[in-house]
Amino acid sequence: MMPFDPSALTLEMLVAALGLGVLILGLIVPHGSRHGLGWLSFFGLLGIMGVALSMWGDNRELLSGMYLLDNYALFWKITFMLSAALVILGCMRYVDSMGGQAEYYSMIIFATLGMMVMASAGDFITLYLGLELMTIAFIILVCFRKMEAKSVEAGMKYILLAGMSSAVLLYGLSLLYGLTGSVIILEVSRIIALQPVTPALVLAVVMLVAGLGFKISAVPFHMWTPDVYEGAPTPVTSFLAMGSKAASFAILLRLFIAGLPGIWENWTMVVAILAAVTIIFGNLVAIPQTNVKRLLAYSSIAQAGYILVGLVTATEAGIKGVMFYAFLYVFATVGAFTVATYFYHVTGSDELKDYAGLSQRSPLMAAVMLVAMLSMAGIPPLAGFVGKFYLFKTIVDGYLWLVFIGLIMSMVSVYYYLRVALVMYRDEPADPTPIKLPSPVAVTLIVAMVVTLVIGIYPGPLSEVVNEAAHTFFMH
Amino acid sequence: MSDWAGVFIFLVVALIFGAGGIVTSFLIHPRRQNPAKLEEYECGLPTRGPTWVQFRTSYFLYALLFVIFDVETIYLYPWAVKFQSLGLFAFIEMIIFIFILIVGLWYAWKEGALEWK
Repeated sequence: MMPFDPSALTLEMLVAALGLGVLILGLIVPHGSRHGLGWLSFFGLLGIMGVALSMWGDNRELLSGMYLLDNYALFWKITFMLSAALVILGCMRYVDSMGGQAEYYSMIIFATLGMMVMASAGDFITLYLGLELMTIAFIILVCFRKMEAKSVEAGMKYILLAGMSSAVLLYGLSLLYGLTGSVIILEVSRIIALQPVTPALVLAVVMLVAGLGFKISAVPFHMWTPDVYEGAPTPVTSFLAMGSKAASFAILLRLFIAGLPGIWENWTMVVAILAAVTIIFGNLVAIPQTNVKRLLAYSSIAQAGYILVGLVTATEAGIKGVMFYAFLYVFATVGAFTVATYFYHVTGSDELKDYAGLSQRSPLMAAVMLVAMLSMAGIPPLAGFVGKFYLFKTIVDGYLWLVFIGLIMSMVSVYYYLRVALVMYRDEPADPTPIKLPSPVAVTLIVAMVVTLVIGIYPGPLSEVVNEAAHTFFMH
Repeated sequence: MSDWAGVFIFLVVALIFGAGGIVTSFLIHPRRQNPAKLEEYECGLPTRGPTWVQFRTSYFLYALLFVIFDVETIYLYPWAVKFQSLGLFAFIEMIIFIFILIVGLWYAWKEGALEWK
């Protein structure tokens, strides 16, 4: 057996050290200078991302397949760190007003660590460990405003449903282990290919779909999403919407496409129906929403449906579509939620009607919200269009009906996305005082907007990177 | 007979010794109840008022901290047994592990989890 090489875990160790370091510094430094912790977390994550880039192309298995290092995992890790860094950059002012900076930032970092472990997990135990690390950190973050009933209620709902979905997932995993005698995903795939499909295996797959369906908030496992998204502090909501969801998709791909080949092909119809129902439900229920966070929550359910489309074909192209969409969804989400965060910070409201005349009060905020929403709706030339194109391209043969549903529902979604734009641009503001943006927020917004525009117009380079990453998925 | 058979016999005898007493006394003891027999016996005083009182959450924090360091010994014990052969690397690893736990204790202390207010 090869000796264990700790340098393979450099990224995870660095992120863990950063999280601990932020927590310790929070104990040492006086209250007045704790806003520096946000900058430390931000630049720390950027630095670790630099290290991650240098690890590109390092593809191997550790501990006989328990931990997989490949471009696929690395791409996800960079996505997670990027979204964490952007969330931190966009919410510093908000966190300063809330207090508890050290806990807040270190929990975001630990959640990121959990996601990174999930992306690399090669066996069920590591996978579950990463998932729980992420979930527990998120539970703490969701009820961070512990004096507010809504936040505590959201935390309570999240802890119950996260626990339930983890239990269901764990039951599915233990059934798989019982059937194959192995917890290592690649070995499971080899053993399961030789076995006939038994009812127990079907039950295991159903449990896995249900357990992970909760995490990605696919219909009919979405009930917790709007309440939790509304009650959680807005930056946490945005991190939940992109980070937690992206990490769950990373293991969803790993579990089903790498772990259950041959079985998964029989399930594509189920996934296609799940995706269709999720897209239809998310978009239709988003229409009557009057609270911006709830609207974004339902829109994120619909987005999960679009991403699920990439799983239908279970090919490299599908994986590529999922990764591409998840990456650009980070920027659209960061844009929309940072606007919502700062708007709440200034006005104390998340209601859509209070967004009236935002274009006069802060042109940048209104513009970013518009770009983010149009990107989510999939309007060319924004990034969301390219992402949807890659996703739906994979299913044109055989699942044309799903393409049509996606198309029609995208048009429906334009209605409620543009309603926000209409309120922001047409209506007169009740309080016309201009909103002054602090520079970190402005930088976050500009980054989100520029990246969304650039990927939309010039998707080539990112597409190639994602191709390379998706290519390593089948290497093990 | 292997050495382990002795352990097995010891286990069986221990079980019989423990369970036998309880079973025998259950079979032969006289069943006559009186108020004195139903009282608490050497386990404290009779309760007053409702027993469904709420406990302070501080108990929970203490319990949590206790469990952390209790579980730590599970890892320390095999490490200590194999200390000679594991070498410096494992020593440093264990120091990092304990350091992380101590940070947790430090955090809890500083945040007032150990204060009884």
